Order: sequence, then structure tokens, then C-alpha cells
Amino acid sequence: MIEFKVVTFSHPTGVTALDHVSLSIADGETVAVVGENGAGKTTLVKHITGLLKPTTGAVLVDGDDTRQRTTAELSRKVGVAFQNPDHQLFSENVEEEIAFALRNFGFPPETVKQRVDWALNFFGLEEYRKSSPLTLSGGEKKRLTIACILSWDPGVVVLDEPTVGQDVIQKERLSETVRMLKSTGKTVIIVSHDIEFLWPMQPRVIVMSRGKIIADGPASDLMLEREVLASARVSQPQLVTLYQGLKKRPAQPFVHVHDARSWLASEANG
Amino acid sequence: MPRILSIQNFSFRYPGAQRLAVDSFDLEVDRSEIIILAGPSGCGKSTLLRSINGLIPHMYSGDYSGAVLMDGANVREESMRALAQKVGFLFQNPENQIFMFSVERDVAFGLENLGVPREEMRRRVDEAMAQLGITHLARRAPHELSDGQKQRVALAGVLAMQPGLVILDEPTSLLDPMTASELVELVDKIRRENGTTFIVVEHRLDLLVRIADRLVVMNSGKKVLDGSCWDVLTDERAEGYGLSVPAIVKLEKGLNYHDVGTSARIPTAAQLAEEVNSRTA
Amino acid sequence: MNWVAGGFIFRRTESAYHRLDPRVKLLLSILLFTLAILSRSVLELAGIIAFVLVLSGVAKILRRISRTAAFTLGFAVFIFVLNFVIGRDLLLSILYAARFVAIVVSTSLFFITTSPDELEQVMNAFHLPRDIVFAFVTAVRFIPVMLLDAIQIMDAQKSRGLEMQKGNLVRRVRNMVPVLIPLVVNSVIRSGELAEAMESRAYGAVPKPTSLNQYRSSLVDRAVAVGGVAIFAVAVYTFYFVLPTQL
Repeated sequence: MIEFKVVTFSHPTGVTALDHVSLSIADGETVAVVGENGAGKTTLVKHITGLLKPTTGAVLVDGDDTRQRTTAELSRKVGVAFQNPDHQLFSENVEEEIAFALRNFGFPPETVKQRVDWALNFFGLEEYRKSSPLTLSGGEKKRLTIACILSWDPGVVVLDEPTVGQDVIQKERLSETVRMLKSTGKTVIIVSHDIEFLWPMQPRVIVMSRGKIIADGPASDLMLEREVLASARVSQPQLVTLYQGLKKRPAQPFVHVHDARSWLASEANG
Repeated sequence: MPRILSIQNFSFRYPGAQRLAVDSFDLEVDRSEIIILAGPSGCGKSTLLRSINGLIPHMYSGDYSGAVLMDGANVREESMRALAQKVGFLFQNPENQIFMFSVERDVAFGLENLGVPREEMRRRVDEAMAQLGITHLARRAPHELSDGQKQRVALAGVLAMQPGLVILDEPTSLLDPMTASELVELVDKIRRENGTTFIVVEHRLDLLVRIADRLVVMNSGKKVLDGSCWDVLTDERAEGYGLSVPAIVKLEKGLNYHDVGTSARIPTAAQLAEEVNSRTA
Repeated sequence: MNWVAGGFIFRRTESAYHRLDPRVKLLLSILLFTLAILSRSVLELAGIIAFVLVLSGVAKILRRISRTAAFTLGFAVFIFVLNFVIGRDLLLSILYAARFVAIVVSTSLFFITTSPDELEQVMNAFHLPRDIVFAFVTAVRFIPVMLLDAIQIMDAQKSRGLEMQKGNLVRRVRNMVPVLIPLVVNSVIRSGELAEAMESRAYGAVPKPTSLNQYRSSLVDRAVAVGGVAIFAVAVYTFYFVLPTQL
């Protein structure tokens, strides 16, 4: 359970990055945080693991105030995958890279080995076990950073702009990973611009603009509010725009292309 | 007048590599065209781009065969100095292509390098900044700018050199959708005002297909598809090549509303909705 | 490390001093620096430091210079104690300490009031090779970027359980490895990308590149330069021939 209690965060320069933000995320929820660059999305995420501490208000992770804990301690429960894998890969080989966090968290050597084996296997990285992480391709590096996080099995997984620079195949893999995380009951928080990527997951959506949360609700409702989205400079999923443009339409907006196709086809046939 | 770009059976292999990075590639580009170059990661796009502006072979050597002709001249034989005035290159990371401590100095960078006289340089810098809408940022330092602004500064620096062809390497990947669509609009405007030809590498096709004339797809170094955006996106092999086909296109293809999407344009969601309404009325 | 940053990094400000030709600013700081080295009494050094403070006032950077001076005092005390302990005269030890402060603030005055563009101009005036000047300017331009990178890297590693604040000295040094390696790797990648961008914009095409901005010194600049040299001459005369030593 993650709670923000009237959190305000101001930079030393005076710029307010978070403005009286309150929210709570229950265990097992899938939440998308959207908004333009500079709206405060990454600042919000950094507060969860204490990388930033609130100027006023408090952030609680499972009841722990983030100001009383170090980021390393909080990260045991909340795994954050940052946007740029080149900002964290440094070990001699992929095996060591995955083991790094496990050792930091104090896992015994046998468990470390077990978890490393699992992660390599699950993410299809076994062939790179002894390779240097710097020799992997962009997509593989991203996969590795996510593998590192899942190896220590945090209850909450946060993905910061996971689809940037990824091609279609890599994005599909990512969607699958998110589905897997959901099915194992993990709380998933995704910060992203990529509305088309987020839409099929039908997550809870938090819309941020200028440091405030201006909307918070299920995707199926929120994505229809064109003015709200426009004010936050967030685009609307194409299927939703289509849905709203139709004179005759079903009760709920189309989630996948095939939903739209079958509905339209059946309408055409009378 | 020769075509602005003519790639003839071009192949390239990096030193020590097993397979060809680019394999027997052919491409003809006319002036003022906007061409999207797409394909899965590792398909050779970056190599191809660098072969057009001369970084290959002038900066990177390797096994080179075939010809890349820029405005009739062979890239292999032209100097980087000459090529820099014909082909501009906007790199993916806005940060790593801005050198100077102030915006206007950076826009002038290429012109200073070429020894352009001060008056003319001033004129070209001011023009480029005006066209990109960044005149008010002239004295700012790059670290004070947003990513979108940095991209514009870099593009202004490229345009100041007045190239006939500009290459954009995933220019929107680090931008949010609104800023990205503003950049795309700018590219279209520059094409209309200057007649500049653009080759854009992008994964995010939905924005670019609105302004592009053609979509060229690469896979494992080879050209596999080349045609109008509509024709290529509706080709059944498109997704197999890692193209992110916009939902509306997928939908429309399945519905067989041929006349809505033509070779000339990709419809928006709103346009498709209108079409459906009119048909079921 | 903040006093270093505060004392030597340019911050854009509007003042008569800032508007001086950078070569004049350099001259003034060199004169002050030289004076500090030549001085033989604490009184003289106090005078020099006071003069720097006056110039800082004109340059509207008094707060920053004072802060730099205050932090330098710490080192100055250290120098004083060291000298005293090894048997130097009390007054001499104070002299060395004071000289250190004077040298730092006169140098700081130059760097705080001179933008990287102006630094480039000065270096070009001294006919330093273009590659060196360019490397310097680009390095300065990327300092804020690299600082940001370092913070992001530390954030990422902290999020993997790295405790940067705990442990003894050995442990803390070891904990810097996961931060330093990505920093270095990123710098190398950055250099490669910069090289491509430079080539693509015809760097090195002509041996003598032209310049967008013209730098001409004005009457004010020349007057200040002459005035500075005059004051320097007077000060040297006063120190050596008028004032008694050992004060």
C-alpha cells in the first residue's frame, strides 16, 4: 500500500514540482501515470522510494514514512526500473549484474544463485550469462534491468517510461511482462506517454499536470474526457477517438482492434 | 537534374563482422519527399543513414560496395566538408549534438566551421532560429532548455547549413506526444517552405505517416518494402517486420473500406468514424 | 564540494564588471594574484582582499565571493596551523594563510564573472590551438549534464540496494564503483556521439573558422586596464618602498 498524504515538493530553486498531491495505491493495482514532460510524473515516482523527500506532507510505503528509511531499504519492497539502462549497468557479466542487488539486500549465496538462474531463464538471457552487460543490444539491456528487479521479487514494480526507443516486438514483450506481473498479484505502476501501449491494459489512470493530479480513475472512463486529457497534453487512444466519433456505438469503448472490427462488422451486416 | 539521392546496390560490412549490415540496398529519392525508414532494431537503419551523410566511409571504415549518390556526386569521393553542406543529420539524443554554451553559437557552429563570413552567418542563423521558433532562446544555455527545445536548436543548426536533404534519426523518441507532433509539424513546414527532402527513422509511425510520402522498410540489412504509407502498412508482412501499424489502419484494412484510406492519405480515427457513420446511416 | 562550485562557476548576472572585456577581467585578476604573491605583510593582503570585495560589490557577486572566502578560511587555518607546528614564525604563518585566501578570491573573481563563451574568446586571443579551446568549451558545457547523469546513476544504484551513506571509508569507496563505471561508460558513449555530430557539421573543414560574434574592446575596457596596471604599480611601490615590512 502506497500513500501520498498532501505531498508538496519544491526544488531549492523555488520551482514546485508536486503540489498538494494525495493518493493511495492498493496492493495488486495496476496504475498508469500520464502527463506531459515536466508535469511531475518522475518526481512522483522518486518520492515512492525516498529518492526525493517531501517538502511538506508524507509518503508512506506499507506504513513506513519514507523520510525514516533509506532508498535502499525502501527498494526492497519497491523495484523501480529507470528509463536509461546505461545509467546502471556496470558489472563484469550479466550474472554478476543480477546478483548485485540480491547481495545488497542480504540474500544468502544459495538464494542468490537460485534467483539469478531463474531471472536469466525467465527473461531469455541465459546465453548472455557470462557476457558483459555493455555488449547487449538496447532492447536486451532493458530486459536485463527488469530482470534485475524481479530477481529480488518486490511487491511493487515501477516502470519509468519503459517503451521509449523500443520497437513493436520489444513492446509486446513488455506488455506480456506486465500481464505476468499483474497475474502474480504485484502492484504495477507505469509512467508513460505511450497511450496506445497503456490502453489495452485498462489500468487505473492518474493524470498529472503542473505538479497536480487533475484526474484519477479507470482508463475506460478517463480516456473519454477529451478536455481533461487535452489540458494535460495527453493524447487519446485512437480506438477511443473512433468510439466517440461513432453515432451508433456499444456501451463500452473498444479495447482492442479486434473488438472494434467485430462490432463494426456485425453492425454492417445489420 | 540528378535525383537528390540515389542508392545503387549498396552493401556494407563493419570490420570483423560476420554478416552485412546493409545488403544490396537500392533507393531513389526525389526532391522534397519525406520518406520514413522503418524496421526492427538492428536491421541496419543506422548504418544506412550514416552512409548517406558520409560518416560511412569517412569516419567508419569497412567493406563498401555499390554507390551512394548525393545530388549526383558519389559520397565515397566527396569530402565531409562538401557533404555537410548537402546532407544534414539530426541525431537521436538532443543533448549530444549541442556543443556551445549558448543557443545562437551552437546554431552557428557548422557555419563557423565552414568559414562562412560573419554577415552571412548572422543572417542564416537568425533565419534558422526564426523558422524553428527559437529566436527568444538565442542567448540561453542548453542545460536550461527542455528536450523539445533542444531538438529544435539542433535542427536549426542543421538547417543553417542549408542542406538539400536532412536525415532525422528517431527525433521524437525522447519527446512526449504533443512535443513530438509539434516537431513533426515543423518538419512539414520546412519541407513546404524550403523544399527540403527528409529521411526520417522512426518507430512511432502514427505521427509521421500524416506527412510522409513513402515508407521504406528494412530487415536484416535488406530493403523489403517500399511504397506509399498506406500500401506498406496494409501489407500483410508489415507487422512481421516490426512495424507499429496504427490501430486505425489495422481496423480499416479489416473493414475493407478501400476508398477511405488511399495511397494518398492515412485517415484519422475521427475520419474513420465519419465514414462508418455515413455508411450505416 | 559546494564552495568549489559556488566559487568558480559562472552565473549570468548584469553588472558593469561583467560587461568588461574578458581579457581585462583576466588582467585584473592576474594583477591581484601577482600582488598577493609579492606582498610581504598581512596588512597588504588585507588590502588586496578588501579590494577584491569592492570589485565583487560592483560585480554584484559579493555574497558569493564572501562565501568562497569564508570556506577558504578553513583551509587557511589549516595552512596556518601546519606552518606554526613545523616551527615557522606566528606572523609568517598568518601571512601564508592570508595569502592563500587572497589568491583564491582573486582567481574566483575572474571565473565567476566570465562566461564560457568569454573564456573561449580569451583562449582564442592567446592563439591556443582550436582543438584545445573547443575541447574546453564543450567540457564546460557538459558539466551540468554530467552532474545530472551522476545523480541519476546514484538514484538507479540506490534503487538496487546500494547504501551510499553507510559503512566505513573502505566500504564507501568501494560503493563508488557502481556509480563511476556507468559515468565513465556514458562519457565514452557521449564522446562518440559528439564526434559524429561534429563531423556532420564540418568540424575542421577550414583551418581558420570564422566567428559569429565580434569582440572589440571599448574605451571603458582600455581605461580600466590602464587604471588597473597603474594601481598595481602604485601598490608595488607602496609595499616595497613605503610600508615597513612584517606587519
